[in-house]
Amino acid sequence: MSTKHAIQAEKFLQNPDKVARHDQTFWSVRAKRDVLAYQLEEWEQLRESASQIKKHTVTHLADYLDQFEANATKNGAIVHWAKDADEYNEIVMEIMRKHNVKKVVKGKSMLTEECHLNENLFKNGIDVVETDLGERILQLMNLPPSHIIMPAIHITREQVKENFAEKGLLEKNGAQGAWSMGVADKTELEAKADPTYLTRCARYHLRDNFMEAECGMTGANFGVASTGEIVVCTNEGNADMSTSIPKLHIASIGLEKIIPNYDAMGVFQRLLARHGTGQATTVYTSHFKKPRPDGEFHIILVDNGRSSILSNEDHWQTLKCMRCGACMNTCPVYRRSMGYSYTYFIPGPIGVNLGMLKNKDANYHNCSACSLCCSCDNVCPVKVDLSTQIYKWRQELDSFGHADPMKKAMSQGMKVMFENPGLYTTALKFAPLANHMPSFLTDIKLNAWCKHHTMPEFAKESFHSLWKKGKVK
Amino acid sequence: MKVGLFVPCYVDALYPQVGVAAYKLLKSLGVDVEYPEKQTCCGQPMGNAGFQNKSEKLVENYDELFKAYDYVVAPSASCAAYVRFFHPNIVNHECQAAAKTMDIVEFLHDVLKVTAIPGAKFPHKVSLHNSCHGVRELGLSSPTERSVPRFNKIKDLLQLVEGIEVMEPERADECCGFGGMFAIEEPDVSARMGKDKLARHIATGAEFITGPDSSCLMHMQGLVKKGQGDYTSKAGRPIEFIHVVQILASGL
Amino acid sequence: MSSKSEILGRLRANVRETYDMPDLSFKKLTFEDPVAEFIKQTTTTAGAKLIELRPTDDINEKIHEAFPNAKVIASNLPGVKADKNPDEVEKAQDLDGTDVGVIEGGVACAENACVWVPMNMKQKAICFISESLVLIVSKKNIVSNMHEAYKKLEEMGETSKYGFGTFISGPSKTADIEQTLVYGAQAATALTVFLTD
Repeated sequence: MSTKHAIQAEKFLQNPDKVARHDQTFWSVRAKRDVLAYQLEEWEQLRESASQIKKHTVTHLADYLDQFEANATKNGAIVHWAKDADEYNEIVMEIMRKHNVKKVVKGKSMLTEECHLNENLFKNGIDVVETDLGERILQLMNLPPSHIIMPAIHITREQVKENFAEKGLLEKNGAQGAWSMGVADKTELEAKADPTYLTRCARYHLRDNFMEAECGMTGANFGVASTGEIVVCTNEGNADMSTSIPKLHIASIGLEKIIPNYDAMGVFQRLLARHGTGQATTVYTSHFKKPRPDGEFHIILVDNGRSSILSNEDHWQTLKCMRCGACMNTCPVYRRSMGYSYTYFIPGPIGVNLGMLKNKDANYHNCSACSLCCSCDNVCPVKVDLSTQIYKWRQELDSFGHADPMKKAMSQGMKVMFENPGLYTTALKFAPLANHMPSFLTDIKLNAWCKHHTMPEFAKESFHSLWKKGKVK
Repeated sequence: MKVGLFVPCYVDALYPQVGVAAYKLLKSLGVDVEYPEKQTCCGQPMGNAGFQNKSEKLVENYDELFKAYDYVVAPSASCAAYVRFFHPNIVNHECQAAAKTMDIVEFLHDVLKVTAIPGAKFPHKVSLHNSCHGVRELGLSSPTERSVPRFNKIKDLLQLVEGIEVMEPERADECCGFGGMFAIEEPDVSARMGKDKLARHIATGAEFITGPDSSCLMHMQGLVKKGQGDYTSKAGRPIEFIHVVQILASGL
Repeated sequence: MSSKSEILGRLRANVRETYDMPDLSFKKLTFEDPVAEFIKQTTTTAGAKLIELRPTDDINEKIHEAFPNAKVIASNLPGVKADKNPDEVEKAQDLDGTDVGVIEGGVACAENACVWVPMNMKQKAICFISESLVLIVSKKNIVSNMHEAYKKLEEMGETSKYGFGTFISGPSKTADIEQTLVYGAQAATALTVFLTD
């Protein structure tokens, strides 16, 4: 009865130290978030406001999108609408062809991941360079992200070093990297896989790419309807580097990222980094309004299923999500199973839900990855009812033909027993006999409980029985 | 005031002493408490497995059985929470009994407003297991995720017991990984969560782990007995488990 | 039917229930002395340096004092002696190799050390490509929190010449390798705030 998530998690859990590191890393982000939460008296009001603003916006989204487009166009941006991933990729390619783009520098964007942009660009002979350090590390290693904010946190510094060595970064950019730290000889830094050194190697490696690229692509954290701006938040400044050297900027934004105005911006700016990384702000909160002098600024508004989610009574509130990653950081299951054990590219509680909305047949495996502890509901800055939604998906699995037969049979058994107090009492009477079953019968491999637990012992006499005999006084 | 005692199925079968302690405690506090015999289960195991539709009849039975009482009290936070918050959705109408169903900690703290428990004595160091549904559904303590004034109703009650020393583990309300069907469907993640939780409880120096949910305690106890790790408490023996209500009823 | 009308049509048809914009007038974090808090946040959490300028100070001397080894200084601010001017370079790439970029900030926010930098230079690359960035901030522009900062920006209307603005709080950072905090990922490796009256 194992789901793909459970099977992958089992593999990850075979290395207890790695699990401990992974767990502690994300817990520490959660802890940093908590410190900031306790410092702000208006914290819960901010969350409630953020939730209400998003509810308001997504239920008036057509109007706000109209307003956004009108203002963005007035600013000189070129706005495109993509109903799905294919149309999105076509729009991108059309712009690329027009500008004869050979190389793109790109900021981190889950939307482009969702639309498989990079594969598509490579297929069309365009080189895409991820510029967020974590994303670049993964790209060089040919690996997908394991978290939406800290995508490469599962990679060790040694692995980064080996990979940088293999790809020639240490040789080409190492001297400059060391020099930027005031160190003449890189040998020692390299020997200990110094994170600052490796970061600086990547800095100058990416600098070369920024210089050469003809196009910069970014995602967007927010689109402000009242001004027609898109807002991109980063710590590294890579989105800014990507857009201040090449003259062509293409921004991709999911429809649901539109917010009404600067009042809303104030609320979300204060919540985003505090939730995502436990910082009071990202280093850069960049508002893109007009194209650069002599440049072009394209904004692609992408639907790709979002407008349909709005009609889903149980799950429409996933549209409030601003992809901060806080639900992953707090999720005790995510922290101990890591991103790759999920079948959808967005892991954790929000990923379980988004994956189901995207493709139930491929992603129902993630519905088991939840102990229903409800911690995610309480960290979410926009109050998405994540655990309730996962519970609801479980109720629907049977109708999609993905219910586990054993769970179904067990539930049917329970139904019969718990609906019939007489039967239940009889079962209770005989239950203690199970205690006398030899352990090799209960401890078998099929009984997943017994993999890590002994069977609980039935009491000699149940409460029911004690009560009936007048022994409860 | 008439109170119906709900002893959920697994407490009934595995931990009857918890039910007995709850009954005795309520009696000793002068509560008019009854145990309607035709009770079975809250339905959570089925809901958790994705088959809450198989519990419709059970929910109606529960309502019928308990609706005449002023309160329904259960020594199990998770079951009480399930009844209160999920039953109405399962049958698509308000449930009289569900709205009045409480965990015993809530009932003692909020309804009876207990300020003394004569005779209760437990000269031990305990580590408090703030179980998820108690914290985040019933509000037995302030969830650590939220920026709200700190409180803990379980701790308030335990501190009325003579000789007790109440500790809380680091990560005070992180899940132990039981999660009902979760423990069976994701055995490895579940066990790892439980082992991590046990280590943090043990690190407090406690001899006992106590909480308002026997289900979490059962999960952790099962891990300890399986013996895949060292679960020795500072007292030099394997860490022990006891339900909150048994400590509160220790003088009876 | 165009994708736009298809999308908007679906969005309109799929709304089940509408919700109002909430009242945002609740009490927010404010500081008795926002300037002191700004200084504190800038020099601690944000990881920047801060130098208070007196009206009598010569800015070029101050830049030289702070960066005695700087070879290439870039700025378009009047009175700043610069080797490169972001308004005059032929292309953004020409700003690569800048040791110190000197720019002016607008609204600044005490709670998180954010400084609004409007793009009043032809090549905004100067704000990011410089190894070190000097950001001139006036004490008069410091507010307590981001709500106030956005309010102020809204009241001021267009603040930038070229339609771009960014809040900057400290130097470029990353913790992508084993969660170790490193300054100087892709943009400025160091930030120095020059605080004026």
